[in-house]
This record gives sequence, C-alpha cells and structure tokens, in this order.
Amino acid sequence: MTWSQKTDERAQAIIARYPDPRSATMPLLYLAMHEDGHLTEDGMREVAARVGLTPAQVQSVASFYTMYKRDRTGRYLVSVCTSISCMLLGADDVLAAVSEETGVADGDTDEDGLFSVEHAECIGACGGAPAVQVNYELVEGVTPEQGKALCAWLREARPEVVLGDEMQELFGGQRSFEWGPSETAGAVGPFPAFEPYGTAKEGR
Amino acid sequence: MSDEATPGMVKITIDGREMQVPAGDLLIAAAEKAGTYIPRFCWHSRMKPVGLCRMCLVEVEGPRGTMLTTSCTMQVNDGMVVHTESDVVKKAQEGVLEFLLINHPLDCPVCDKGGECPLQDQTVSFGPGESRFVEEKRHFEKPIPISDLVLLDRERCILCARCTRFSEEISGDPLIEFVERGSGTQVLTFPDEPFASYFSGNTVQICPVGALTATAYRFRARPWDLQAAESTCPHCSVGCRISVQSSQNQVLRFQGVDVDSTNQGWLCDKGRFGFEYLNSPDRLSTPKMAGDDGLQEASWIDALDAAASGLMSIIDEHGPGAVAGIGGARGTNEEAYAFGKFLRSVVGTGHLDAQIGDGLEPRLLAAPADRGLIGDLEKASSILVWGPDLKEELPVLYLRVRRAATELGAKLVVAHPRRTGLDDVATHTLRYRPGAGQDLLRRLAAGEGDAGAALAALKEGPTVVITGLAGLTEGPDLAEAVAAFGRDLPDATVLPVARRSNVFGALDMGVSPALLPGRASAVDDGARATLSGHWGADVPDGSGRDTAGIIEGLEAGAIRAVVLLGADPAVDFPDPARASAALAGAELIVAIDMFESVSTSMATVVFPALGFTETEGTVTNLEGRVQKVSRLLPGPGGARPSWEILEDVATRMGGSIGATSAGVIATEIEKVAPAYAGATWDALNTAFGRDGIVVPTADATQPIEYVPVDRPSAPVQRDLVLHLARVLYDGGTTVQRGLSLAKLAAEPAVYITPQDAHRLGVADGSAVRLSGGNGSAELTARFDDSLTPGAVYLPFNLGISVGSGLEVELEALA
Repeated sequence: MTWSQKTDERAQAIIARYPDPRSATMPLLYLAMHEDGHLTEDGMREVAARVGLTPAQVQSVASFYTMYKRDRTGRYLVSVCTSISCMLLGADDVLAAVSEETGVADGDTDEDGLFSVEHAECIGACGGAPAVQVNYELVEGVTPEQGKALCAWLREARPEVVLGDEMQELFGGQRSFEWGPSETAGAVGPFPAFEPYGTAKEGR
Repeated sequence: MSDEATPGMVKITIDGREMQVPAGDLLIAAAEKAGTYIPRFCWHSRMKPVGLCRMCLVEVEGPRGTMLTTSCTMQVNDGMVVHTESDVVKKAQEGVLEFLLINHPLDCPVCDKGGECPLQDQTVSFGPGESRFVEEKRHFEKPIPISDLVLLDRERCILCARCTRFSEEISGDPLIEFVERGSGTQVLTFPDEPFASYFSGNTVQICPVGALTATAYRFRARPWDLQAAESTCPHCSVGCRISVQSSQNQVLRFQGVDVDSTNQGWLCDKGRFGFEYLNSPDRLSTPKMAGDDGLQEASWIDALDAAASGLMSIIDEHGPGAVAGIGGARGTNEEAYAFGKFLRSVVGTGHLDAQIGDGLEPRLLAAPADRGLIGDLEKASSILVWGPDLKEELPVLYLRVRRAATELGAKLVVAHPRRTGLDDVATHTLRYRPGAGQDLLRRLAAGEGDAGAALAALKEGPTVVITGLAGLTEGPDLAEAVAAFGRDLPDATVLPVARRSNVFGALDMGVSPALLPGRASAVDDGARATLSGHWGADVPDGSGRDTAGIIEGLEAGAIRAVVLLGADPAVDFPDPARASAALAGAELIVAIDMFESVSTSMATVVFPALGFTETEGTVTNLEGRVQKVSRLLPGPGGARPSWEILEDVATRMGGSIGATSAGVIATEIEKVAPAYAGATWDALNTAFGRDGIVVPTADATQPIEYVPVDRPSAPVQRDLVLHLARVLYDGGTTVQRGLSLAKLAAEPAVYITPQDAHRLGVADGSAVRLSGGNGSAELTARFDDSLTPGAVYLPFNLGISVGSGLEVELEALA
C-alpha cells in the first residue's frame, strides 16, 4: 500500500515546513488516519519512511496520544468525559446510557461503523459537567437521558457536519460560560481536521 | 586539601566530605568516582541522562534551601553541598522503590536476573521493606520474543528506557520504543519488525531488571553459581574485553566489560552469543587420520608419528621449501609464535601466512607509520572510513566511530562500493565501482567535484583514517593507497584494519613471509641472524610465499605439504573453489583445529585443539594492543593446546620449539620479539590490567615502521563488476556451530541496481545466473539502489561463490 498522490503531496508540503523532517510526524499521522480511516500499521510505516524514523518510533508517538485512533473508528465518535468534575456529576451514568443507546461498549465501534464510544480524560468543560463530545464538538450539561437522545438523533438524522452549538441547543444543559461567537464550521468525521494540512471539510 | 581548586576541577561536599571532582561531571558520576554510590536504574555512564526512574534523588543545598534533585541530571558546581543519606533522601528513595515495585512481580526465584539484579539489590539496600499497595499488578503475556536472541517480559519492566535509549543513541537502530502511556506504557517493537540489531544483546546486559533476557542464557544458571574470568573476545580484531562465565564446565555467557580503550562495555551479538560453538558436540576430541573411508579416529601416538614422518619424508625428498603453513590468526600470540617457530626453525620453510589471501600488506598491518588508536576517535575532528563495512566486520569499532560522528561531532567521510552501516551518520558518503577505487582516491586527494567538500572536512585535524579491504575482489593496493593518502593529511593517524580475530597478533609473531616475531623484517639479515641466535636454528630468508603464493605453489607442485593451524582456506580464501582444488592436490595436510572443516576433510592428520576459554595467552588487537585471554575450562576430552601439539611433532622430527607451557612461550616472546619487550603476562595481569598494553611500549623498539606506498593502477572497466564482502553472520564455523547465531545467516542473494536489473531484464526477487572468474551459480537477485551502477554485490561465505575475479556476468533465468 502506498498513499494517494494527493496525500503524498500534502505530506511533502508539511515536511517542507520544518527544518527536520521528524518534526512532521504528528501532522502526518493525521494524514495517515484520513487516508485509511484509522491509523493502520501501513500508515505508520508510510509516516516513518517520510520523516526518517523507524516504524517503532512512530508507533511510540501514535500510541501516546488518544486522538490517534489505531482501531476502526465510527462516523460519530462519542467521547464522554469521566474526569473528576464530570465523574462527580454522573458521567459514569452518561457513559452507560450512551453505550446502551448505541449498543457500543466503551472503547469500541459498532459493526456498521456508525458509532465509536469512549471515555475521555478532562476535556476542559468542568463548569458544564458532565460534558460529552461528538467528533470533538462539545456538548455540556448532558444527562443520561439527553445522552441517549443525542445518540438517537445522530442515528436518525445522520448529520454530515456535527456542530457543537446545534447539539448544545438540542441536548445540552448548563454551560461552563459563554464560549463566544458560534463556531460554524463543525466537524466532518471522527478525526480532527486542519486547514493547513488540507484535511478540513473532508471527513471520510 | 588546599583551598585552591585544581584547574578543571571543582570542590564539592558530599555527606560532609569535601572533595575535588572534574568540572562538568554529572553529580552521580562525580560522587561515584569519589567513592559515594548513589543508587540508580535509568542512568548509565555510557548514555545520556534522562532522569526517568527518580532513584538517584539527593538533597542539594542552594540559596533557597535544600532541594531534592536527580543527581543524574545535575552537573557539579563549585561549592556544591550534597546530602545522599539524609532522612529526606532516604524517604524519597523508599518512596521511589515502593512505586517502582507497584507493578514489578516478585518472581525473583525464577528470574534469570535474580542474584545480580539492581532492582533486587537496591530494594534491599534502599527500599522500604514493605509496600502499601495491595492492588493487582499489571499483566502481560510473558515473555514475548522481540528478536531471535532476546525475550521481553513486560511485567518486570520498570520503564527506565535504558534499552530504548541504547538502541537509538548507541547502536542507531531504534526498533524498540515505549508504546502506550500512563500505566499502560510498555516497551515494544513494531509488529512484524523485530529488534534485529547486531547489538541487541547489550540491552539484556544493561537491563536493571529481568525484563530482557537472552535465549542463549535463559534458565541455564543462577548468577551465584557462575565462574567468571576476564578475557578478550575471540571474534574479531577489535579485542573487546569480556567476562567469560561458565558453570559445570560449559560456557554460558559472555558479558561486556567496560574499558575506555576498546569496547566501552558494549559487545556485538556475534561476540556476545558466539560462545555456543565452544560447547558444540561437533568439537574434535581425538586425533583423526585419513583412511579408506575418510577421516578415522586415531591415537595421539599414531597421529603424531604420521604427521612427523610425513613432513620429514617430504622435506627429505623435496626440501623444506615444499612445506607451507597457513593459519594462526584464530588463536593466541603464544600459539602463533609456536607455529611460526615450528615452520621456520624445525621445518625450515619461509612459506607461512596468517592471512588467507584476504588481507593487506603484512607490514602495513603490523607496523604502519603514524598508527592510530581506537581512542583517537574520541578527540577526532574528522574521520575517514575507507574499507570494510565496519558494522559487518568490526561491529564495536562501528559503535566507536558512530559515537564519534554523533555524540562527539566528528565529521565522517565513508567511501565504499555500497551503503554501509555508517552512512546514516556520515557527513560525506563516496561511492565507487570495485576496480575504480583509485580513481575516486585521486579525485578525493585533488578535491575534485563532490569529493571537494569531503577533502575539506578531512583537512580538519585531528583526523583518524581507518582503512582496509572493502571487498574481496579488490587487491590490497587500494587500502594501502588510502593509508598513504591519510598519512599526508595534516594531523592524521592511520588505523589499517583486518577482521580475523588475532591476525595482528599472528603477524606480530612472524606468521608471514615478510615478518619475523616482534615486527622485524624477514629480509633484514641482521634481524634474521639475531633470531637465529635465539632459536639456535637457521631462519629462512624473506622470499617465502603468502597464502595466495602457497595456493599457486600447490597448483604448480612446488608446495607439497601444508600445515593448517585453525585455518580453513577451502572456505575462507576469497576464491574458495580454487583453494579447495589446490589443497586436494597436496600430498600431506596436517591440520590443527577445533572442528572438522572442508580443509580438514582433505587432511592426512587432524589434531584436536583446545580453543578460546581453554588456553591462556595473549592476543593483539587492530591497534597493536596486547591483552590477556584466560583459561577457565578444560575443553573436550582429548584436545590439547596447539603449541603442545607442535612441540610433540617437532620432537618427533628431531627438533624442538621449546614450548613446555604457554607461559614459557610468552617469556620467550618477550625476549625474542623486539616490539613486545615489556609486554609480559605479569604486566598484563597486574600493572596494566584490563586496558592491556599497546606495543611497542616506550621501553621497546620496533624494528620496522612501514610507510604505505601508493601504487597507482589503471582503473578496471568492465560491464559488470563484483563487490564481494563479508557479513557478520555467515557460514563461518563460530556462527554455524552455535544454535543462536546459525539461524541468523541470511539466504544468499546477489544485489543489483534497479538500472542494471532493468537493462538485463531482471526483476527484484527473480532467479538469475551469476558467472564469475571461477564458477557460476543460480541465485536470487535483489535490488540495491545504493550500489554504483555496473556493480553487483554478493555477500561472501553464504554458500555461493563464483570466484574472486572482478568481472562477472549476470543473466536472468526464465
């Protein structure tokens, strides 16, 4: 397997930004995820060959960060925060409700590739606990019932773009504070997208 | 102690004791030198500090009060006041150990490391005694193989990163790394990409717990049952110091010993695991004589009689010049000296050679002008490596050059027909087609084109020039021309290298037509007369044949008998088929060896010899450093020391070499060999110890100093030329007779550039026929884009030979 020409060109452009190719490891790992749907062994080999590291070194970086998904990942990645504030306000119940509604256990993905469910470490929304992210778009003050409803809506509506503000309005509760002007871009797919890497608005 | 600190030193106080330590030292190292041991797991004196394990916490007084700090990341400062045994430090140490033991299994009774385990030892010395943690420890499959030689038990790992740092910093093949994070962190390889490093065994030795174990040693012994003796590795001419460890008369492992001069603690895997051949059931343990049905076991008396009478009848009939000797580069100096003395004084022949047609001008190896030391690499500004791929042939020298080029910032120029292990860290890489090396050398000397930058780098001294035979299809002239070029560089030392373990010692002992013991010239009448006085026998003049000449002599019928000492020319000569045919025509072959070989299969008499760990003596490494090898084991039943066998044959021939013990020979060498004056066993055992003695010492004289000669030759232009070079794991005896290493030898293949392959219609992985100067073979072709177009590469001694001619042909097979 080799990368598509488009991905390869993007990789070369990213590598050219740094004095040392190995600095491009992390951005290239995002490219690899977008290329294959998740971070595959081949993807890590491709990154390693381009940045001058061994695959073992790339794997070391990739496995340190939870946002590099080395397993098949669904179209909607539901992350339930279980760190201290959210945990005190019932995050475990929210996670259980999300799992029940989607039929997907913590850390797993369903057969159709629609949902992935995970517990997350603090996502910086303690004031609006318990908090949930869908494709890293934030929803705060989520009760177990709202969590179920959110998942049901995702399954029915299948939004192309997931928007935090929209989900907050439909399923959220108490917010940490006013986050400022609405973010209108939203998220396409379960992997973070970046304008400079050329991956924004693409999804899978 | 005076108040004034010596220049370069600073004054610090450790536990109330004031001391001077080198400025810039890390506190943990300075304290250890001054006699205070600070416990540690992750810190290793030969690697950069990381401050990972926290075991080396000490209290350092500062302007804002005392603070706990890791002594492995703290440099000493003038006036620094340090406490290593305060209550605070003790509490910190107990806490660190309690944490480190959260997940560490208490399986010491079944763990190979138990008894020599830093975690076990330091827990006893510095630990809290009991743990407050009652939770389940983490579990992994145990153990998993991370290579053919090394197993990993992740449950025992304390994540000190010594192994991963070694693989990145020292050996340069980072195939193991931390994976996952937090409590899930573990050391792993990439799936399907094993830790196939030539240096993987070092990680086993430096692992401070039993997480990494070697397949060759697992469950073989407990450390307290091992007998140990310090010795010198027998596998190549770097001369790494090792500790030989045995139990119940079996060698069980070699461990690296840390000496500044050679290996700095490291070993290659061939050295570390290449002890298994010593325990091989194939070891010869009785003499053998040729019978109707191949070699038959014989009594010592019959075999000695046969050897002596056979040699005498050939001498009677054809003169002593019909006898030749090959070998001596595998054993000790004492054995080589006995071999040379036997041939020159008892037989009376000047045809003897320790090199097997694959070496350099003997005087260049034994006594080069401006000879360098391995240690010169530490202060070199630039290094030229033009010779063998050091990673394949002299692996620990590769580590030393790599260290100089990375850690110490030297500029490295590498010239070779294809990619070598050092190319990744080289500042300049120069490639050439075998046969056209002198062209490149002229361009380098003139600074033409792409060689200009390399020349500029090499003009920054001090420079170390390492040169040797890059491939077996090229003559020794190129390496000598490189040495001559190197000598002309400003502030340069030259280190000519050859690979076979004690070839330098054997040449120094005069096992060469050109050399007499102690680096004297065989064409020097005075030197011959002096030696003749010592020996009480005539010494043949310097017109003897080297190995290539001996092979020619056998073919022409001028040589009729060959004595082999630990040599297998039928395999090791660059053109093995030719050597084999020549030996087959010999009237008499007397072989002294540890194993039967292709050459001994043609022998009239084969004597079983004791080998490494079974004989005491000295060896000389590639920089002329004499070191001791120790006797720890008795060896197999009927085997005897080579010198004793030679003495017994000599006696039956009416002569003697005066070899009543290895020690007696050593005393004679010290007296007879001028360059070895002062290099006595006593001096090696006591005064100099593990660093050995570089000869000649200041009190000795070296009769010759060889100035390399540039003998220009016209470049050879052929359509397709052969690069024939050795690899670390080959068909050699010490590799193939050991269980661990035998399986590591690669499948033979011929390597070709994609351009040439395209031209010849050859696909990667397809079958081809390679035809050379002496034979042809069918084998697999592999692409290698690092070769110069017009060259193909065949690894030597992997079972395929087409001769050692430069010109080859290659055709695709359907």
